Amino acid sequence: MEEKLSSVAKTFTPSPIQELSHLAQRCNAINLAEGFPDFPAPPCIKQAAVSAINNDFNQYRHVQGICDQLALKMNKMHGLNIDPLTDIAICCGQTEAFAAAVFSIIDKGDEVLLFDPCYETYEGCIAMAGGIPVYVPLDPPRWTLDPEKLMSSFTSRTKAVVLNSPHNPTGKVFSREELEVIAECCRRWDCVAITDEVYEYITFDDQKHETIASLPGMQERTIITSSLSKTFSITGWRIGWAIAPASAASAIRNIHVKITDSAPAPFQEAALTALSSPTKYFEMLRIEYQLKRDFCMKLLNSVGFRIQFKPQGSFFLFAELPKDCLLSDVEYVKELIRQAGVVVVPGRGFFHGKSGSDQPSDESFRHQKRYIRVAFCKTEARLCAAAQKFGELMNARGSPKLYC
Amino acid sequence: MSTSSTQKDTVSTHDGTPQITQQPVQVAKRLEKFKTTIFTQMSMLAIKHGAINLGQGFPNFDGPDFVKEAAIQAIKDGKNQYARGYGVPDFNNALAARFKKDTGLVIDPDKEVTVTSGCTEAIAATMLGLINPGDEVILFAPFYDSYEATLSMAGAKIKCITLRPPDFAVPIDELKSAISKNTRAILINTPHNPTGKMFTREELNTIASLCIENDVLVFMDEVYDKLAFEMDHISMASLPGMYERTVTMNSLGKTFSLTGWKIGWAIAPPHLTWGVRQAHSFLTFATSTPMQWAATVALRAPDSYFEELKRDYMAKKAILVQGLKDVGFKVFPSSGTYFVVVDHTPFGLENDIAFCEYLIKEVGVVAIPTSVFYLNPEDGKNLVRFTFCKDEETLRSAVERMKEKLKKK
Repeated sequence: MEEKLSSVAKTFTPSPIQELSHLAQRCNAINLAEGFPDFPAPPCIKQAAVSAINNDFNQYRHVQGICDQLALKMNKMHGLNIDPLTDIAICCGQTEAFAAAVFSIIDKGDEVLLFDPCYETYEGCIAMAGGIPVYVPLDPPRWTLDPEKLMSSFTSRTKAVVLNSPHNPTGKVFSREELEVIAECCRRWDCVAITDEVYEYITFDDQKHETIASLPGMQERTIITSSLSKTFSITGWRIGWAIAPASAASAIRNIHVKITDSAPAPFQEAALTALSSPTKYFEMLRIEYQLKRDFCMKLLNSVGFRIQFKPQGSFFLFAELPKDCLLSDVEYVKELIRQAGVVVVPGRGFFHGKSGSDQPSDESFRHQKRYIRVAFCKTEARLCAAAQKFGELMNARGSPKLYC
Repeated sequence: MSTSSTQKDTVSTHDGTPQITQQPVQVAKRLEKFKTTIFTQMSMLAIKHGAINLGQGFPNFDGPDFVKEAAIQAIKDGKNQYARGYGVPDFNNALAARFKKDTGLVIDPDKEVTVTSGCTEAIAATMLGLINPGDEVILFAPFYDSYEATLSMAGAKIKCITLRPPDFAVPIDELKSAISKNTRAILINTPHNPTGKMFTREELNTIASLCIENDVLVFMDEVYDKLAFEMDHISMASLPGMYERTVTMNSLGKTFSLTGWKIGWAIAPPHLTWGVRQAHSFLTFATSTPMQWAATVALRAPDSYFEELKRDYMAKKAILVQGLKDVGFKVFPSSGTYFVVVDHTPFGLENDIAFCEYLIKEVGVVAIPTSVFYLNPEDGKNLVRFTFCKDEETLRSAVERMKEKLKKK
């Protein structure tokens, strides 16, 4: 009865990240692959959830206070004026907010631009809505945006651009100049920007996260999606949102109601506590993640990597395999699991050929099989253990043993 | 206008000058029909007028302590990160065990169970994962409002068969002429919201043989299966030859009075589960972790929990049904769920929406107009739905208000 599957479902393949996690589990490997913390969530936020359950906040609800707080935050951080009564939809995680956003504006045949490399989920959502993903490659080694490549990707069928910044997997934070380029294209082609800003509070050095919605002419054509998950280390609570002009926000809310009806009630209550965390919380978050980033860079440099692009945000490091390593990304990852008991993600799953065509095989796409993604949202102890394991890979001459 | 997407395309009408548009974010065509739900509208009106809400289907009492404590323990134990996309293993195991207890079927928890954010998401994922644009799907009206919306998102062609009072029996001849080899799936909700009807073994057997004959999938929404009062609930999946073509959906919310936790699931053979999981992974990716742990505990509740649940609800139902009859409604028999539909026409209002507005403003009680549950609203204009998932005092107060202020014409 395989023919009963929808044609869209048949094109999907199981998540390579999840598959590797299973291999890692079987080998008892240190997991630097999956993007969620292995340290506890902040105690006061957990307590808020516990209180909510005890105080009977357990039926369907919409907690308007979340919208009020988000409006305040967006004003403080980005100077945006958001109407909390009309411009915000609370969803089950950023995943659902994004899915609802896509369903709200994408009609069959609409093209959606995505920057490559790219988080694997966006494409599936767009395909489900009947849209056509079109990839605009960012240029290695620093993942810069080439305005020519972007502009030439627009057609009369382009409806939206997806912008994930800070960026998974590269850790890039799109610069103001790059945002201007994207904004200009959106204004000129009358397109919508759908953003994924889940790492908005995880930026490093002097980098600040800016939302494209704050650029001239953009608020009226941007749908911002984000969530509590990464900021508060509660990826399992499923509290996210979409912020958009009222007509879009209303459509997103209506779709959300048909997809899940309501985000988990007690966690909506706890969100009120989370969103009113003091400034110090966000400062500490950045500082701690920056330390972990630096540790990870040092770790990889010590085993032969030469990191050309230091992550500016998110908790991922996207590292090119050393020049003298002859293995592909997948081979390296498998060897790393077997020989060092550490798991990371092969980068190829984040890259896509031109306009969804077959696997690229020529030189210009060779880099797509030469990257690994390392997640450093892990405890110091785990990162140290990983460092030790990596260290064991070095042979007596001080070269990594891993390469053949 | 060119339809190819090569980089060489430029739109000749664009001259490069910035366009100023009034509404740049244009909503997709598929959504033009979908507005705020009737439930939200009625609830807002209810608050405004201080009305007793017997409209929206969630309890005004809370879930059992032992389940809430399990969730609290899970949060404290640090179970706060992403769960496995299709469910926490222990929870999938508990679901398989419960399914075996309820239906006698042995299933593989890792290949045949998918956990979703409520049954609502199970329905959305099933539609989006298993229905192609243009596929024909049969629905029974009146139907829960998310069915039409998600079928429309999937681009399905809906064929609707109306269930009619007094007993809302399945019109078999109509079904036989509607179903054909072109039918992809049929969606059935039993026990049924809003009528409280429960599909009989005979009805299910007839539908089953038509599905086998025409190779049709069956999507079963069974969220009220533990609120079966007048007869035993029967799962289509348990009928001969049916498991391999059935997706059985359910949730925690109604059975454990925790509607806001959003823990649901879909049980289906591996080849159908695969489609459901694909859509699910793009809709919500994973379901609330601590609540799944609590749900594992909930599903292992002793039989006495379920027996008490039924007894409580039957007592509440008795209060409401008797009260509605005394007030002068024509009350249709409801075998399951916590809903009952009535004919409001004795009170002289022109249709169900007018009646419900009148009921809120002049009487101070909320009911739901059923026309929203039909493809053709005309079919529901004489009927409204009341719920009895409220504490007894609330039910009695509502009945009193109606006795006092609602007069037959």
